[in-house]
Amino acid sequence: MKNIGVAIVALFALCCFSLFVGVQEVSITDWWQESQNTDLFLISRIPRTLAVVLTGASLAVSGAVMQMLARNNFVEPSSVGTAQSAALGILLVTLLYPASPLIVKMIVAAATAMIGMAVFLAMISRLPVTSPLLVPLVGLIFAGIVEALTVFIAFQTDMLQFQGTWMSGEFSGILRGRYELLWLCGGLAILTYVVADQFTIIGMGKDASINLGLNYKQVVILGLFILALSTSLIVVTVGMIPFVGLVVPNIARRMMGDNLRASLPWVAVLGALLVLTCDLIGRLVHFPYEIPVGTVLGVIGSFVFLYLLYARPAHAR
Amino acid sequence: MFHRVKRSVAALACLAMAASPALADQVEITTATGKANVTVTPKNLVVFDIGAVDNLNALGVQPAGVVNKMYVDYLDGVQSNAEVIGTLFEPDFEAINALEPELIIVGGRSSKQAKPLAELAPTIDMTPSASEVSQTLLAHLEAYGKVFNKQKEAAELSSKYNELLNEVKAAVKGKGKALFVLTNGPKVSVFGPGSRFGWFHDELEIEPAMAEVAVASHGEAVSFEYIQKANPDWLLVMDRATAIGSDAENARQVLDNELVTSTTAWKKGQVIYLDPAATYIAQGGYQATTRIFEQLIEAFNK
Repeated sequence: MKNIGVAIVALFALCCFSLFVGVQEVSITDWWQESQNTDLFLISRIPRTLAVVLTGASLAVSGAVMQMLARNNFVEPSSVGTAQSAALGILLVTLLYPASPLIVKMIVAAATAMIGMAVFLAMISRLPVTSPLLVPLVGLIFAGIVEALTVFIAFQTDMLQFQGTWMSGEFSGILRGRYELLWLCGGLAILTYVVADQFTIIGMGKDASINLGLNYKQVVILGLFILALSTSLIVVTVGMIPFVGLVVPNIARRMMGDNLRASLPWVAVLGALLVLTCDLIGRLVHFPYEIPVGTVLGVIGSFVFLYLLYARPAHAR
Repeated sequence: MFHRVKRSVAALACLAMAASPALADQVEITTATGKANVTVTPKNLVVFDIGAVDNLNALGVQPAGVVNKMYVDYLDGVQSNAEVIGTLFEPDFEAINALEPELIIVGGRSSKQAKPLAELAPTIDMTPSASEVSQTLLAHLEAYGKVFNKQKEAAELSSKYNELLNEVKAAVKGKGKALFVLTNGPKVSVFGPGSRFGWFHDELEIEPAMAEVAVASHGEAVSFEYIQKANPDWLLVMDRATAIGSDAENARQVLDNELVTSTTAWKKGQVIYLDPAATYIAQGGYQATTRIFEQLIEAFNK
């Protein structure tokens, strides 16, 4: 199963299916005949499907980049404090400047996400390379601290319910005009593909990359920038979604190896497939009501993660 | 170990209950957890339920201690004349102990604290029923009337309540179907008959737009397509963010999209933004409930 074409066709088919899942009834045979149906597609169905695909692809790509920067396969932005830092930023800007437009909230969220990530990278650079499991543990603890801080501030200012909307991601509120920021994430994923080779080299470590003639600092900053921006964009638009950035890059790495340029298309397509499947499950199991995609992913992601931990491939490193 | 602690807490609670009868007259009232004997006109009353504060305020009773933030503007006077005794979820036991209350009232969100609070003073749970709003409200008024020697006031409020209730029923009759929507930030959920806000349909006899909404106390998360499909004649909107004091993203902004604006309710201007404090915070209170009644009468008779 090394043909990316098959995966893309599968994603496309699932997208088409997704367009026909919703509370309003649309029959497959005559959906283009009524203007009302066309409106429904343009306002609700197409934006939601696009938002899910963009989010899934971008979460998975962010995870892959994070794993290169941290040189550890068990980290992703929402497990090491980046997404939590973005949520903290949104909360702070909402408290201090409640009337500020979305773009300002996003910039602040991106800035705090970047600070959070830099702190995490600084912490793990002091850890011994011989115990790789310390890295995700330190990340989890750091994420817990940032989240605790956010919850404390939200509790003190009675924003807990509001803050909850950022902490659990879902797509039920997505309509035309309420997801377009996610296209920027798509752009960042493409940018990642362009510079993929340099991230691959970063994954070999600081000394090796400097020896290979890479401008180490510059590439790390670019990585931080891509990660912070796409994480905060997703948190602002749909909220936090766990596991995608963790499991998808690991699956892709098993299939394609460590070369990011080779695995990145897989990472993006599989990420989109995973989130779209979970969103469809969330829309269908309790129809016509919805279950947040984060909840479905939490369940499915845990199983995939356990599988990754226990079922090592024959040629494991 | 845990069981022993629990048992001794219960024993203490019994002791506290048993110790008081010798001191003053008692009346028997019905609480959410059964019958209880309560000292008449207790001193230094501590109240952990906003609906109860609302009812007592309507009767002219001032508690000595209430929770820190109530978010209900018409109870600001009560707040400024009382001590802060913690939050709905976290009582400040030191502060309560210092007040030496003769009665503590919990309910709803604070009912989980009944046991630890009973160690300090007799505690009653006055959680309002979600399915029989009028019945519990009138029963609570009567009980408070007995306890605080305000029977006459309680009877007056009761008859006024019944008048307004009939007025609401008459106003909504034959005016079409309604959907109860709760917004929380950018997300929406719906409530149907039998749910936490089901009494709008069950007791006020407002026809539901979607009869089969599953019974869930926190509502069911839905997409805007659901609201479009339900196509209600009336939208009853409760903005949770406003209720808890954040004006982050108000309900009108969230609902103002091409799917919701195509419903009959929106086109006819029949979207009612319910007083969030009265609907969500002071649930089961006389003033809260009659405020909602007045709002509905005005909207439906327009």
